[in-house]
Formats: sequence, structure tokens, C-alpha cells
Amino acid sequence: MMYGGVDPSIADSNALELYFDSEIKALVLWGTDPSCSCPASGGGAVNDQRAKGVKTVVIDPPFTQDAAKADIWLPIRPGTDVALMMAWIRYIIEHRLYDAEFVLKWTNLPYLVDTETKLMPRAAVSSDPAVPDTFYVWDKRTDSMQPLAYPWDDALEGTFTVDGRVYKTGFTMLKEQVADFTPERAAEICWLDADRIVKAIRLFAENTPGGLAIGVATDQTPNSVQAAMGACTIDLLLGNVERPGALMQRFRTSGTFDMPNYPVPICADLLPDEQLRKRLGGNEHKGLGIWFAGHPSSILEAVLTGKPYPLRVWIDRSGNKLGAVADSKRWQKAMERLDLIVHMYMYPTSFSAYADILLPTEEWLETNMMVETCNTLCARQQVTHLWETVDETVIWSMLAKACADRGDEECRRAFDPEFMGKNLPYWSSEKEVFIHFLKRIDFDWEKLCWLTPYEYMPRRDWQTYYVYQWKDEKTGLAQGFNTPSKKLEIYLESMITLGRTGKPFSKCELPPASKDYEPLPYYLEPHESPVRDDEVSREFPLVLTSGRVPYYHHSTLRNIPFLREMYPAPEVWVNPRTAEGYGIETGDWVWVRSKRGEIRGIAVLTEGIGPGIVWMERFWNPETLNTKTHGWKEMNVNILTKADAPFNDVVGTYTLRAFQVQLEKADGAPEGVWLNPEDFKPWLPKPSGRTKEVFVK
Amino acid sequence: MSRYIFVIDADRCIGCKGCQVACKAENGIGPGENRNRVFDVGPTGVFPDLEMYFLPVMCQQCEEPACVAACPTKACRRNEADAVVMIDAETCIACRACERACPYGALTLNRERRVMDKCTICEQLRREGEKPACVKNCPGNALYCGDIDDPDSAVSQLLAQTRPEHIHKLRDTGSHPGNYYILRNAAWQDLLPRELAERRGGRRQV
Ligand code: SF4
Ligand code: SF4
Ligand code: SF4
Repeated sequence: MMYGGVDPSIADSNALELYFDSEIKALVLWGTDPSCSCPASGGGAVNDQRAKGVKTVVIDPPFTQDAAKADIWLPIRPGTDVALMMAWIRYIIEHRLYDAEFVLKWTNLPYLVDTETKLMPRAAVSSDPAVPDTFYVWDKRTDSMQPLAYPWDDALEGTFTVDGRVYKTGFTMLKEQVADFTPERAAEICWLDADRIVKAIRLFAENTPGGLAIGVATDQTPNSVQAAMGACTIDLLLGNVERPGALMQRFRTSGTFDMPNYPVPICADLLPDEQLRKRLGGNEHKGLGIWFAGHPSSILEAVLTGKPYPLRVWIDRSGNKLGAVADSKRWQKAMERLDLIVHMYMYPTSFSAYADILLPTEEWLETNMMVETCNTLCARQQVTHLWETVDETVIWSMLAKACADRGDEECRRAFDPEFMGKNLPYWSSEKEVFIHFLKRIDFDWEKLCWLTPYEYMPRRDWQTYYVYQWKDEKTGLAQGFNTPSKKLEIYLESMITLGRTGKPFSKCELPPASKDYEPLPYYLEPHESPVRDDEVSREFPLVLTSGRVPYYHHSTLRNIPFLREMYPAPEVWVNPRTAEGYGIETGDWVWVRSKRGEIRGIAVLTEGIGPGIVWMERFWNPETLNTKTHGWKEMNVNILTKADAPFNDVVGTYTLRAFQVQLEKADGAPEGVWLNPEDFKPWLPKPSGRTKEVFVK
Repeated sequence: MSRYIFVIDADRCIGCKGCQVACKAENGIGPGENRNRVFDVGPTGVFPDLEMYFLPVMCQQCEEPACVAACPTKACRRNEADAVVMIDAETCIACRACERACPYGALTLNRERRVMDKCTICEQLRREGEKPACVKNCPGNALYCGDIDDPDSAVSQLLAQTRPEHIHKLRDTGSHPGNYYILRNAAWQDLLPRELAERRGGRRQV
């Protein structure tokens, strides 16, 4: 929303400048560890950048591989990221490390904000999306509030009273918002050293161009959206956008997809308004509209209580939901209340144990997929196909077809090209999906397979810098950014509109959320926190965060012998000074308990985590799938996580990281789990001949 | 004659252990068996002032291999042509004398074939003009192998470009290891793989 381009996620391969010999000087990896989350892609790319001399700052509670290689590591207390970001912003402003000219010309920070409404008054409202509204600035020459037509502005800073109303520039609003967050204050909140914070800020701010990449860590607490805003603000203030070496870019695309690498369109705009309005949690957390998602905890409540309406059927296409959702034990209770559960996946997981119907999908090596990466298009091709599995893309349309055949009007219309308009009508084969997209570039699947990797554009043409400076044909002005004001909206006024109406994500007007969303980032102390002196922190004195190891991807791959033998059970990292009090040694099995449940893991005493903090890898155990635990109750961090309020205001995030636990030495491993390399032999692949094709596409 | 060895840029190793898995898949090595292993060296220091690097260890292609000396059947020997230490599956009786003798834990019992197994620098791939599996699959570009007697080889070039104080070898216990390690960004810790496995200060050391 602030930028109008893709976020610079390394794990999603969006930080494209990393893959080339570019002008990057410094990177901040904030709660992201590409060496763990994507060693083969981003991990290697960041490594190449480091080898070239690019400086890195890593902000992460555990001493990850990337932390080990960083110039500066800030082992932050879990869940306090926004406090540290606000300190970065404050320091950058106070020491004038920001790119003043860029901020003045290309962000909305000079625009005046009415301090009472928090909105930016308009001198003129434009109905043409190519032309933004006209905002007010403070004109230094006449010392008055003046409308200033896009694109140039005047005063960046100031508080002004006009006709009894107080106006401040967006810049002043931001500055005041972060005013309390000195490095010393952040050090106190985040359990860091103030000098080290300053060194990190300086290293990044004085070495532009570069970029700050966040991972999922900051997305997993109720302060999630503010962390994304804070991260973006830091980069934008430094002018790290669309210049060579910046991670935020709008490079060209092949034009094949509507959404990058999302071959199957969402077409939510075809849903009836009343259906969009009753999406669970969708009115309170309107940011969810960007993914057309529901709010997990609201769904959980609806199943458990029947309010605001009961839910009956759960069709799931994902790995192990019980290993992925917060407070999994409550979800089990909810699942018992449903009439029908369908699980669509490549192999059985704990979730399958509760399903009435399994729909086996093809494995990675059995599927075809179109992939756009940098300036190439690739065909990921099926190399084999075994047993009764079907490509999931096709399963969805088969379900729709079956409903249509039984008289469901909406499903029938999904196959009607006229009704679907610019969207792809539902298909009967994977081929139809490919044709729909590839014909846009005059290709078909066979041609793409033949030419893979197909360079659809020379790299120099594809890597388009300074896109905001391109002239708009119609207005003759610089086209700016994809935001309503065409500026980088660091003062994110549209948060207020989003909370009140659902715009720009919802096609229909939604009732306002109970509270306005904030246009600037704010810090939220974790609800369960070691600095709160309350019952929870007394009983559960340690703060837990989780994270990745390179051998697994999310909750997959725990059934691969060569990976499981390297990491058969989750490690529980504890600082030796913390462990002392519990009589725990490296290699001991320990109970990890939260208010919500208990699990076990293997203790590792290490200086690689700060005192008072516990780090643990999430896990599930496919080997106990057919026992009464169904493999999700032994070592699954999500037995401990928190699914109740407070939620993030904008998108409703619950607490997957940064909550309170206690430790106790356990007598041994959970029953039936596999730990020795030889245990995993039954999962070694067994050669098979051709199997019968049961579904002909 | 040529002398094939590894030069390992430890600064570039990100500790992902992809090389371990790639080696197993390429060479048919079972669970619990390893031709190569990656160790965390560290963290050393006291929180939050720490250092850590990653150490891939495979056969060090020793000049005077302890494994060869220990082998009662001469199954374990050094190739004439490229000086790579090999085990002849026909004559190996799996007595594990070589395993006990090797200071670097570089030998593994292949239970399926009942022979001792070790890194051959992927002989079968080199014969086809390909790179070893671990080298090909290393996302960090940390692994280099080649003929150290050829001054134009990639490994010789890499060493020539590296400051001498950044070049290390595993501790020599008499067999004169051939592989080189490059480490610029951390202090080299003189620890043998078995000592590292005991320390286990960080992740599990397999
Ligand atoms: S694959 Fe490369 S980066 Fe990964 S552990 Fe092995 S040597 Fe290190
Ligand atoms: S490292 Fe071990 S196996 Fe390799 S040559 Fe030396 S002694 Fe033999
Ligand atoms: S060179 Fe081949 S045999 Fe040796 S460690 Fe690498 S993959 Fe294994």
C-alpha cells in the first residue's frame, strides 16, 4: 500500500537485485534467514553478495547462519521489532540520514495532516486515476497552507494552525510518532545494546543503495502490519527504491500472469457482495481483503460457538494444519463439530487423520507448472506419475463441476466465459489453464517446454529502474508510484479508509471496523511478555520464539529419511545461564509448556540465544500418524501458541511467536518417535514400475 | 601425475548440509552413513559477542593416509593417476580398521553393500567430465575440487589469490591432509571433527 510494488521478500524471490552483480552496498535481514528458509535460492544469492563485500545487519533472536556471517547481529527480544524500527526511524530523522530531496519530492510526508481527523485535506479531488488528488503543503514563502499540484512540494516539517485547526506535515506526524524511541529506550525494550543499535543503523543508512528484507517472523505477532510499515518506512526514507541496487523494484514482467506466479485467478470480484460482507473477521480486519482470506481465530470461534453463523464443511488444501495453526488443540475440538472434512494433499498428515475424505494430489515431480523468474519463463515439467493422484488445479474444477451438475447456480456460472469476463472460466484440464495464460505471449505449453528457460526479454530491458520517473502519456507528468497520491505513502492515510470502508481491497463497501487503523506504525508490547509482571510471566518466565532450519520447508519434509536423520527432533535452544536454573544439559529431553499445552524437544545449551529466551523449531512426527497422537501432539510448537486476542488490527494476526513458556527436564523422548538414522529406513523410496492411470486428463 | 583435492571456502559455507544429502543421493549412501559431514564450529564467545563458521569435512586426501596404512587387505589405496584414496569393494572385508585409523572420521560403513565407503571425489561423475554432486549442489559455492599440482586449475588459482594467513588445514596427526580450507572472516579453531561432534554447542552435528 505504501509503495504500490512487490515487497522485497528474499524467500519469495522478490528481491531481484540480489541475483545480479548489482550496486547493493548493504542489506538488513530483519527476522529472515535465507540460509535456512531458502538456501538454494536467496540463501546462495545473499551469500554471493556478502562475498562481494556487501555489508549485512541481521536482526534475529537466535544466532542463525546469516547472523554468524553478519557485520552486526542484533539479537532482539522476540516480538519487540516495531520498537526497534521506530528507533531506527527516529535516529535516521534526527541525524538527517534520510534522502531529503527524495523524501520531499517522492513521498507524501510534506502533505498536511489534519491532526483531529488524521486525514490529509484535499484542495481538489480527482476522478481520473492517472491524476492524484491535490493535497496541501505549507508554503514557506507565503507562510501559509497552499494546495500544491502533483508532483512537487515545499515544507517537509512543521505544525500550523489555520482557522483554529491544527495541521502538521506527514513528516512531523512521523517524527512525533517515533519521538520516544531513542536508541537507549529501544535497547531497554528490545534487550539490546544502544551503541550496537546505532552502529547497525549507521552501517545501513550510510551504505545506500541497499534494502531491508523482513521474513515471516514479524508477520507472526499482533504487531505484524506495523512491522511491515516500519520496515518499508526505513527503506523509503533512505531512498532505497527503484534505484539500481535497491530491493524495491518494479521490473518488467512477461505479461503472462494476472498475479505473479498465481496461475489460477482468485476472481473474488465475482462473489456476491453479501458473501464478501459475511467473511469471518473480514470486517474487523479488512487488510485480509488483499488475499481474500478469512480470519483464522474468527473461523475457530464460529465453529466452536455457531456464531455469527455455524460452519459445517472444511475443505483443506495444505499440509498439516494441526502443525500450522495456533493453539492446535482448540482446532481439534472445532474439527469434531464439523459434518464433513476433506483433505487434499500429496501424502497423509495429522490433519488427514480427522478427515472424512482424502483427495490425493500429485507430488512436486508429478506436476507441470509455469514459473516466471526474473526475465525468464520456465516450464516445470512432470517427470513421473504414480498411483491415483490428480493435479490439484484440476481437482478444484472437478469439485466445481460436480456442484454445477447438481444444480449449484454459482458453480455453473464459473464455467461460463461470459460471466467470468476477464477471468479464466473453470477448466476441465490443466492444459486449458496453460493455454489461457500462455496465449497472451503467443505461446503454448509444448513450446514453453521446448524453449525453457525462455528469456522473454533481455536483462537490461527487463531491469527497469526509476519507473516512477517515466512520463505518463496522458498527463505529461512523471507517473509516480502505484498509490492514490502517486507518492510513496509513508503517512499511510489509506489505512484509515481501509478500516472504514474496505477500500481498496474490497469491491463493496464494508461496515467500519470497531477502531480506526493507524496511518503510522506503533509499538505493541506482546500480550504475554517477560516484562509484564503478571501471573503469566511468573508461571511462564521465558519468552519463546520459533524459526527455521535449512533441512525443512514449513511443516513439510519430516518424512524424508536423509533430512530427518540430520534433525530428528526439534532442538530447544537455551542460554547456559538460563538452563542452570532448570538443571538442564545439552541433549536432555525437556518439557516446554505454555498456558495452552506442553510438548517436548531436545535441549541445546548455546550462547547463540540470549538469556531468558527459548528458540525452538516447529515439528510434527509422521511416524506416529497412526497412533492416538496422530503425530501432532509430541513436539508441535503450535500446541503452545496463542490463537486468542489481541489480534493485529489490520489483518488479525494472532501470536505464533513471542509468548511465555516454562521448561522442565523430561524423563525421555515421547513414545514411539523415531530418532536414530536407521529408524527412517521404511521411508526410503522404493522403486516401482508404471502404475495405472486412473484419471485421464 | 596429478593430485586431486578439495579447497573449501568456509566463509562461503552457509551450513545448509545440502552437500551431505546430495552425496547420499548420488552415491547410494544409506541413513546413518556419511561420506561427508558439515559441522558448526561455534558459536565461540559469550552472548552476544559470538563467532561461528561451518566446516564441511570429507576425506582429506592425505599424503600419507592412515587408512591405507591400517588396511590389512590393501583394499584401501591411493590411485596412481590422481592420488585419490579409494577403497576396492572386491577386496574390502569391512573390518573397519581404516575407520579407526582415520583422524577425520571420513570413512563410513556401507551396510547395504557391506564394504567401507568414502569420498572418491565422485569418481563416476568426474569420468563423465562432471563436477562432484556436493560441488554442483552447494548453494554457497563453497566447494572446489581439482588438481593441486596443476597451477592453472581452479583450486590452485583460488589458493594463489588467497592470503596465506587465511589458508588452513585440519590438524595434522601424521597423515598430512591434502585438502585446504579458506577462512577470512572468523578465527580458525583447531578442532578435529570428532572434537566438534562432542562440543555440540549449536545445532545437531551429524
Ligand atoms: S552445500 Fe555448500 S553451503 Fe551447504 S553445507 Fe555444504 S558446503 Fe556448506
Ligand atoms: S582423510 Fe581419512 S580416509 Fe581420507 S585419506 Fe586421510 S586417513 Fe584416509
Ligand atoms: S565429492 Fe562426491 S563422494 Fe565426495 S563428498 Fe562430494 S559428493 Fe560425496
